[in-house]
Amino acid sequence: MIYFIIFLAVIVLIILFFVSIYNALIRLRNQVKNAWAQIDVQLKRRHDLIPNLIETVKGYMTHERQIMENITKYRSQAMNAQTVGEKAQAESLLSGALGQLRVQVENYPDLKANQNFLALQEELTATENKISFARQNYNDQVLMYNNKIQMFPSNIVAGMFNFKEEEFFEIKDVAEKEVPKVSFN
Amino acid sequence: MNCPICKEPMIILELNRVEIDYCPVCSGIWLDEGELELLYSIDNTESELKKLFRESSDSKEKSFKCPVCRKKMIKIRFNNTELIIDKCPVNHGLWFNKGELEKVLSAKTNQSSQKVLSLLKEMFSYNKSQEAE
Amino acid sequence: MWELIQSNRRKSLILFFGMGALLILIGYVFGSYYDPEAGGVVGVFFAIVLWVILSALSYFAGSKILLAVSGAKEVTKDVHPQLYNVVEEMKIAAGVPFFPKIYIIDDPAPNAFATGVKPENSAIAVTSGLLSTLNRYELQGVVAHEMSHIVNRDILLMTFAGVMLGVITIMSDIFFRGMYFGGGSRYRSRSSSKSSGQAQVIVMILAIILAILGPVLAQLFYFAISRKREYLADASAARLTRYPEGLANALEKIANSTHKLRSANKVTAPMYIVNPLKREGMKLADLTSTHPPISERIKILRALQQGVSYNDYQRVFEMIHGKKEKIIPDSVLKESIAVTPVIGLTNEDKDFNPIEARREANDAVMKLNDYNFINCKCGVKIKIPPDYNKPIVVCPRCGTRHQLR
Repeated sequence: MIYFIIFLAVIVLIILFFVSIYNALIRLRNQVKNAWAQIDVQLKRRHDLIPNLIETVKGYMTHERQIMENITKYRSQAMNAQTVGEKAQAESLLSGALGQLRVQVENYPDLKANQNFLALQEELTATENKISFARQNYNDQVLMYNNKIQMFPSNIVAGMFNFKEEEFFEIKDVAEKEVPKVSFN
Repeated sequence: MNCPICKEPMIILELNRVEIDYCPVCSGIWLDEGELELLYSIDNTESELKKLFRESSDSKEKSFKCPVCRKKMIKIRFNNTELIIDKCPVNHGLWFNKGELEKVLSAKTNQSSQKVLSLLKEMFSYNKSQEAE
Repeated sequence: MWELIQSNRRKSLILFFGMGALLILIGYVFGSYYDPEAGGVVGVFFAIVLWVILSALSYFAGSKILLAVSGAKEVTKDVHPQLYNVVEEMKIAAGVPFFPKIYIIDDPAPNAFATGVKPENSAIAVTSGLLSTLNRYELQGVVAHEMSHIVNRDILLMTFAGVMLGVITIMSDIFFRGMYFGGGSRYRSRSSSKSSGQAQVIVMILAIILAILGPVLAQLFYFAISRKREYLADASAARLTRYPEGLANALEKIANSTHKLRSANKVTAPMYIVNPLKREGMKLADLTSTHPPISERIKILRALQQGVSYNDYQRVFEMIHGKKEKIIPDSVLKESIAVTPVIGLTNEDKDFNPIEARREANDAVMKLNDYNFINCKCGVKIKIPPDYNKPIVVCPRCGTRHQLR
């Protein structure tokens, strides 16, 4: 009888232990989801700013038709992307094209003095920063979550309940990686 | 801030990063001490410009009060010309009667003063056209 | 992050009860000094009532009072878009659901503080001087530091500690004043005839010692804690921005500023990112300062080359300080993941233009003071003071007649 009780107690303890690991995994997964939602909000914000930017810049810039077409193209690619990987790909192309546009702005002093453009420039810089900070937070959360999934003993629970590792949001473009906090000019 | 001459509130005008206090009644211009620096920060002609001003104690012009500190402003003569400008005794800034700032700026022919001059002309282009009629 | 808050809560409680005990002791001894029979109880009662009232006041209205005293005004995004954006950037980096209110103080001395006992109604206040001297990366560093105070729940801790300190100081003040006017002696002469005079002498000595040492003790306690919170907020800021150089440069600029903050006083000083009441050539000030020496904070931030995690900060802190001292709570160090700083970033914010920054800060202050801003379509920006009383203003460039209200 006494052995049975001890056995039962051990079983209960193990179950409780697993429940707590399960809950921790759920919490981490939700944090990852939440962090992803933050990136999404900012990427959408950038997509919303682009038509306005093109409209403002169009009147001044005459030789940069190709860059502007690329921006529009990558924007729609990014908006239609399905997976994290696809999205990261399109967004980094978009960042690259926006970067090219910024370089060209230098040649148009009238544009740089335009109040409307200055306000847009601040918004775009801020949005780029917000994207990079949201990405930073997301990748931290993914790292913690993936660590938990790989490590013993939480890996057992993760395996049982099919917790899958999440993808990092990586920026492929090398130039962009070196200067993640893009600034105009 | 009120115009030292008409005592009316002045408005502030900004164009292409140049900012001035402007009296819409008498068209006088007030430049804060800092603002003069800002106008000339482009190539450091500020001190050079200041050298051209000499205190003139013999002026018969009526004196006005500094709009910032209300102290009586002193008269300074520009580059030995007839042009006399009011300056705050504790350096809050300079007061230019209508047209005076342009005369000061056109006396110097370096790049930055030309730039500011053309900007001022641009800023008051409507007023100019009204006067011409 | 949770670990950090937990350890802070525990510390809050220990401090709370520790200082509370000191308060009760002081109340009892001071009371007994006046009247050996019933005075102790009255003294304790008085101390507790005073403390409850002040605590409630600071809990519910403390941040409003602080903001009002410092002359801070709440701003919307259009007053200073960059400041608003930077706060939002740091909110995103911290991954928190709340958005602090943003305040600007019209003062040329660069400084900043955070307030609010609950993160949901927290606020970050910066001076116009800060906005006109810092570039975007530096501003990010300062805002990240303030955001960390909010996220780490430092403000609640500092508020209660501050109130305790205040009450203890007030009690000692009242005691000395009472002694000066001879309030106690009347009772003492009457009671000494009845009870033993010896006990009375002991109480008196104890009361004087407590009156002198109580405030000093409370202050040391308070300083020790606030000092740790400052280091911790620096560490968190480096981690949030991944760019410790930004905050380091900002601290340097703030420390080198020759302006003196007008609204700061002894009570509000510990709230600021850099102590606004700097006294020159005071080595002793380091001991009792609410803030760690700024040069040391900068040195630590600049030495964070390999990584900006809490572990890195602890390691560098010990290296520079030359002795072992836990500056980051253990529970947080355990949780710490490797965090690499942003590389290849020079502090040159290419968009930064000191003239522009000053103009924007000035504009923000004008907007706070109800100036009316008109962007004329010809490109001229017209800023109209609130006392301008004509119904229209004519743009001198294009002749457009702008109708005012």
